[in-house]
Amino acid sequence: MFDFTALGAWFSDPENWAGRYGLWNLVAEHLTLTLLAIALASIVAVPIGVAIGHYGRGEFFVVGLGSFSRAIPTMGLLFALVLATGVQLRELSVVLALSAIALPPLLAGAYSGVTTIPAWIRDSATAQGMTTWQLVRHVELPLAAASIIGGFRIAYIQVVSTVVLAPLVGLGGVGFGIIQGLALRNFPQVTASSLVIIMITVAGDRVIGLVQRFAGARLGQSTPLEKS
Amino acid sequence: MKLTRIAAVAASIGLTLGVAGCAPSAVPSSEPIVIGSQAYYSNEIVAEAYALVLEDAGFTVERKFSLGQRDVYVPAIVAGEIDLFPEYTGNLLQFFVPTATETAAEDVYAALSTALPEGLTALAMSPASDQDSYNVTQEFASANGLESIADLATLTDITLGGAPELAERPYGPTGLLAMYGVTVTFEATGDTTVESLVAGIVDMANVYSADPRIQQLGLVTLSDPLGLFLASNVVPIASEAVNADARALIDAVSAAMSAEDLVALNVRSVDEKLSAAVIAREWLVSEGLLD
Repeated sequence: MFDFTALGAWFSDPENWAGRYGLWNLVAEHLTLTLLAIALASIVAVPIGVAIGHYGRGEFFVVGLGSFSRAIPTMGLLFALVLATGVQLRELSVVLALSAIALPPLLAGAYSGVTTIPAWIRDSATAQGMTTWQLVRHVELPLAAASIIGGFRIAYIQVVSTVVLAPLVGLGGVGFGIIQGLALRNFPQVTASSLVIIMITVAGDRVIGLVQRFAGARLGQSTPLEKS
Repeated sequence: MKLTRIAAVAASIGLTLGVAGCAPSAVPSSEPIVIGSQAYYSNEIVAEAYALVLEDAGFTVERKFSLGQRDVYVPAIVAGEIDLFPEYTGNLLQFFVPTATETAAEDVYAALSTALPEGLTALAMSPASDQDSYNVTQEFASANGLESIADLATLTDITLGGAPELAERPYGPTGLLAMYGVTVTFEATGDTTVESLVAGIVDMANVYSADPRIQQLGLVTLSDPLGLFLASNVVPIASEAVNADARALIDAVSAAMSAEDLVALNVRSVDEKLSAAVIAREWLVSEGLLD
């Protein structure tokens, strides 16, 4: 069932690592698409999430978007965007489709990070004469940091595993090895590519997890604050 | 009571022995012929044509269409769960013998007949084919005076678009260089290959020869004088459950379907959005195979 010899042979063949569709290039492309999509989504989602948490209005938006996003067929969105914008702009279409997946967890992370800050902390900040901006910048953002980064963690896992579809519309990424391998019945290549995707998913999750712990310990609380 | 039960057992044993003793050509027609098809509209039309002529002749038919990729349905055919399946000579040969070197239609058919597992037969192949072909836009062809793949040898910087697996296929970049001395850069354009060709992202694209878009977009299919591509004619694969009468009916369908017919059927499916059953029936009537 699982041929370790063939798998090892695939990984040790330098042919499979070099060139336009070699593993190095595909991993780089995979991560680039993932990070671009998350960056684009975070520019929109984090400020909105913090604002909703701060003013306590529009929670329905966070919940609604979260549920709505689960109903979108990602592959359909990918093809629709590529066909709508034309193949010349396929990179942009793919990044847009992927950011749509990253948006809800980022929004939820930012929102819940701010909204769970106990009222007495904000009140004491306001009592000391802090302006709204100072309250957000020096109190809410540091305390919400761990939760915001948690949103990035979920977004990363979802996006990095969806980039696998990019070769269907002519882009690269490690999914190339799976899609090509299935057509050629080259199962060591399919297994190897899947393992690489699992590795970059877990490794990225661990790295963001470390950042999350560091940010929690340095800027705020590593455990959520008790409401009082 | 007891006697009737014994009689029933005896009768059922007799029936079983009787059926088992029959030659394959005399299998009762009450056992339905299971017809499968790929999840590809063109393949489904051909499968539907088989189903319609068999039903018209009084056979019972069960349709199991849209079965996905070869990895999924070939084991089902081999296991005898499917009795009749429209296939393509070259692509199916490549499935059974990945290293096959035959390219001419007759050679491919002969090699496939040998390669098929016990119990399966390739019925007579049809003149209609649906195979890989290299296509360029009209402008690119006129600008560079292209008619055949061999004409590409003088050009440099050609990008070839196609599905990811084309990179490794014998007729891909390696075959182009070895057979025609043409160097290409491969770009995996996946399901957007034709769009990428029209948009100018690639210069040349691998498109199936029966794809209606070749006509619709006025693409130029480069001829392949040296036989780089594996011929892939439509061929019915039948199990022993398909008897001689049924085989004769299917052979008539295969013989009647020309390459142009297959393209025309595909165009109707894409342009008029008709169902496979309607397209197949109207074509059979026009060929006089059905009233």
